[in-house]
Formats: sequence, structure tokens, C-alpha cells
Amino acid sequence: MSLNVYIVDDDESVCRALRTLLMTYDFEVKTFNSAKSFFENVAHDDPGCLLLDIHMPGVDGWEVQKRILKSGSTRPVIFISAEKNDNASIRALQVGAVGFLQKPVNGQTLVDLINVGFQLTSEAK
Amino acid sequence: MKNKIITKPKQAIRIPLIKVTRNNLEEQVRQQTDKLRIRDGQLRQGADREKLGADRERLGADREKLGADREKLAEEKARQQTDKLKIRDGQLRQGADREKLGADRERLGADREKLGADREKLGADREKLGADREKLAEEQIYIRTKAMESTLDGIFIIDVKNSDFPIIYANPSFYSLTGYSKSEVIGKNYFLLYKANADLRVVEEIKQTMRYGKSFHGEMLNFKKDGKKFWSSLRIAPIRNTDGDITHYVVAQTDITLMKKRDSEIEEQREDLLHVTRVGKLAEFVSSLAHEISQPLTAILSYAQAAQRLLKGKEPQLQEILRYIINDDQRASEVIRRLRVLLKKNKPTFEPIDINVLINDTVNLIMTHITVKNKVVKFELNSSLPMIHGDRIQLQQVLLNLISNSLEAMEESRDYNELVIRTSRKNNDMIMVEVKDLGCGIPKENMKKLFAHFFTSKPDGLGMGLSISRSIVEAHGGHLEAKNNPDRGATFYFTIPINMKKDQ
Repeated sequence: MSLNVYIVDDDESVCRALRTLLMTYDFEVKTFNSAKSFFENVAHDDPGCLLLDIHMPGVDGWEVQKRILKSGSTRPVIFISAEKNDNASIRALQVGAVGFLQKPVNGQTLVDLINVGFQLTSEAK
Repeated sequence: MKNKIITKPKQAIRIPLIKVTRNNLEEQVRQQTDKLRIRDGQLRQGADREKLGADRERLGADREKLGADREKLAEEKARQQTDKLKIRDGQLRQGADREKLGADRERLGADREKLGADREKLGADREKLGADREKLAEEQIYIRTKAMESTLDGIFIIDVKNSDFPIIYANPSFYSLTGYSKSEVIGKNYFLLYKANADLRVVEEIKQTMRYGKSFHGEMLNFKKDGKKFWSSLRIAPIRNTDGDITHYVVAQTDITLMKKRDSEIEEQREDLLHVTRVGKLAEFVSSLAHEISQPLTAILSYAQAAQRLLKGKEPQLQEILRYIINDDQRASEVIRRLRVLLKKNKPTFEPIDINVLINDTVNLIMTHITVKNKVVKFELNSSLPMIHGDRIQLQQVLLNLISNSLEAMEESRDYNELVIRTSRKNNDMIMVEVKDLGCGIPKENMKKLFAHFFTSKPDGLGMGLSISRSIVEAHGGHLEAKNNPDRGATFYFTIPINMKKDQ
């Protein structure tokens, strides 16, 4: 059974490209252009790793992570962003994410991190 | 009765003849006589009466005449009287006139006297006035001379009738301003004072001014006798004689060194402020630009990596193309990352760098480009330079920018194709890197704006290269400047401190 990866990024091209890439690693990939669309379509206990863009109009990545934690979900989250400021990588770990990657992300690095995320989640269980 | 008598005066008296006795006769005679007498008397009376009447008539006429005469007389008298009065009046008037005349003459005399006195006074006044004027003129000359001597402006006068243009007067301020003594100035050619140090263009302009009899107002860098520089504001104006010919020039000179210094300080502060503003705006601009470019770069990289995986073990040529795509994508991402680092003033990564090695590496990167453009790079590197501390990529960026600018400056020229890169020890703390070309040089008006953001003289330039380069060099604690070479082209040179702390 293939693992689920959800991508939330307001840039459609980025979503499509990352999906194409991750599909070559045999992940089941679903993309969303906004946090709203993600919450509407994915239940908090649906299994899967989330690739979360930080800078989005409306609800941003940090806010999404807050809601996920609030819902009691143990979903592994990986932050991605074009900018690396506000100590993003440290902050990502502080809010319980698996990690932070700066765009453009290297495929193998991303996959490694996703696998770490799944591993952490299964260990937690 | 009376009337009867009057009516009978012309009848002759008849005496009756009567015989009379003696006595009687006598008596008679007496009586007759008496009668006669009476008669006579009566007659006489009548005649008299007649006469009286006539007389009366005559009298009346006389009286009338008299009256008329009297009237006439009275008239005559009155006339005479009037005449007399007239004469009298005339006499009187004549008297008054005479009196008046006398008074007038007297007055005239007094007036003449007064006039004489006045004339005398006037003469005295004139004399006084002349003296006053002289005094005033003297005072004015004194005040004017004093003013010239007291003013803090240096003032001197040049005689232009003499072809040597000698200075014939200089005020004390001029001596204190320039440090020259009177004997070194008076009689000397004004232009000799400028020596070789002065701005020849300004000196030439002043010469032209005098040649054409015009005024000059300008600023120039002057030198005191001891060689010390000072900025002066010069006002040069012709002095004309009554015929309108220029005989002299007066020059007023004010030391504006302090003013200049203050101005340049203000200018510097303004520049700093502008720099901050520009950098701020640029950072904002680059930040949003970087974000927009990062997204497609992310997509391209992901697609290429996906394709790479899909083609694993197949299509080696396509695999190679994908590798190039990925490499270039990462290079573009790196540029953006650096740009962001630079503009966010994030601390760059400092490491010990051999500047000569870095220059060689950098030139190697664009050697193909240089060869294609038919240019030659000549190295004049000082091999005994100490290591510097800096960000390798940032300094490489500066070198690349300066080298490619120099190449572009020589783009049009076939004869001048040599680029010189020189390293040297500037002083104890700094090394210097110079990039010299033989291109078209920098127009004077562009000198100031050269390092401004978005300033470019290239048709397709962004105007960011030099401004970013300067920011990089300054972040390293050095300075990046430009100058035109005396012969041809321009030189860009920057300093980098040797002992820069690693953690800075």
C-alpha cells in the first residue's frame, strides 16, 4: 500500500511538479492550493504526510500546523518555503514539524525527510 | 396913489400964473416954491420912483446878473477851488510818492546791504561746503579704505593696463588667507600665485574672463603659501575708467572651506540616507522578485528530477540534459539566495581567502567569454599579499562585475583590448585590487551616479551590478571607487581589510 502525501501550496505549478516527482517514488499524492481546501477534503485522522508551504495568502503554513496540532492529529508535517527567514527551520521543529526545506527542494532530500516523518509517526504509535 | 404918480411921470408940470402981492407974492412964491418944491418933490419923487423902479428893475436885473455872476463866480470859485484842491491833491500825492520813493530807496539800500551780507555769507558757506566736501570725501575714502582693510574677504586689485597683470593692492585678509607677504604679492602676476596645483580649467576660465572684460563668479581650490588647500569663492569684476575702458580688476575671495565641508557632510548624510532608502526598497523589490522566481525554479527542479527518475537506466543523452537543467536551476537558486543574503544584511560567511587565487578562479570562469571577445587579461598580482577574510562568492561577484564592465567598455574598440588586474598592499590594514581597462572611460556627469542603484549606461543593463558590488565591498569593511585613467579608459579599485575578524 502506497503512503499518502498531501501538498498544500498556493502555486499550482509547484504542486503539480512536486506531485510528479513524488509519484516517481510511489507516493499517493494529493495537492491543495489553499489551507481551506485541504481541511475541507482531508479529515484530521486521514493518514499521510503533509508538505506545507509557509507563505500563502489567507491561512499560512504556521496557522495550518497550529490547527492540525489542535485537532489532535499526529500527521507528520514538512515545511517548505522559498525564503529562509525568521529562523524558519528552528521554528518548524519547535512547532512539532519533521523539518524545513528551502525551495527549490532536492527530490531525494525531500523523500528522505518524508520517510523520516512516516517513521516518527509509526514509532509514536 | 402911488400907481397914479407912477402913471404920470411923463406929463410936463404946468405952473399957474397968478397975480400976487409982494407978501402975497412972496408967499405965493414960497407957496409956489413950496408947491413947486413939493411938486418938484413930487415930480422928483415920481421920477425917483420911476428911477427907483427902473433902478429897482435895474437892481433886479443887476441882482439877477449878480446872482448869475455870483453863481458864475461861485462856480468859478468852486472850479478854482477844485483846481486848487486838485493841485493840492496832486501836491499831496506827489509828496506821498516822494515819501514812498524815499522809503523804497531806503529799503533798497537795506536790501542791497543784506544782499551783500548774504553774498558774503554765501561765500563763507561755499567755502565751508567745500571744506565739508573735502572732509566728507576724505572720510569716505577713509571708510572705504578701512572697509577694504577690515573685511574678512581677501580683496586685491590687478592692473590690466600692464600686460603682466600685476597685483597693485591686496588687503590684509588676502595676506592672512594666503599666507603670502606683501612683497610676495604686490607687483607680481596674479596667476603665478596659483602655481601648478590649481585647477587649470578654472584658471583658464578666469583668464578668459579678463581677456573679454567680463565678470567671474566661481569656486576654486586654492593653495596657501605653505601648500595647504582651501576652497575659495571668487568674484572678479572689472573696474572701468571714465572712458569706459577697463583698467583694473578687483577680486574678492572668500574662504569657503568650512562651508564646503559642512555641505559635503550634509551631502554624505543625505547619501547615507538615500542609500538606506534605496537598499530598503531594493531589498523589498528583490525579496518579492526572489519569491516569484523561486516558485518556477522549484517546479523546474522537481520536474527534472522526476524525469530523471523516470528515465533511470535509459536515454543517457536525455539524462545528461536533465542533469544540466538541474545544475542551472540550482545555480539560479544560488544567485537568488545570495542576493537575498546580501540585501537582508544577513552576515555573510567569512573565510580566509587568497585574493590572487580568487582572481584567477574568477577569470577562469569567464575565460571563454574573454577569448570570444578578443580581449586579453594581464595580471599584475603581488604574490606576497596576506590572506584576507571575506565571503568568497560575494567577492567573486564583485570581481565578475568589474571585469565584465571593463570588457563591455572595450567592446567597441579593436585597438584597445587589454584588461589589467592588479593586486597590491595599500597599507598595513588593507590590500587593494584594481581592474583597469582601456575603454571609453566614464563621462564626468556619470561619475557621481555610478554606484547608485538602477543607474546604468548600458542599453540592457539593470543598474544593479556596481551598487551591489559596492555594498559587498563595504560590508567587508573596504571601499570601491572608480577613476578615469590619465591616458585612456577607467580603473575600478577596491580595498579589503586584512585583519577582519572571522565572526564579523
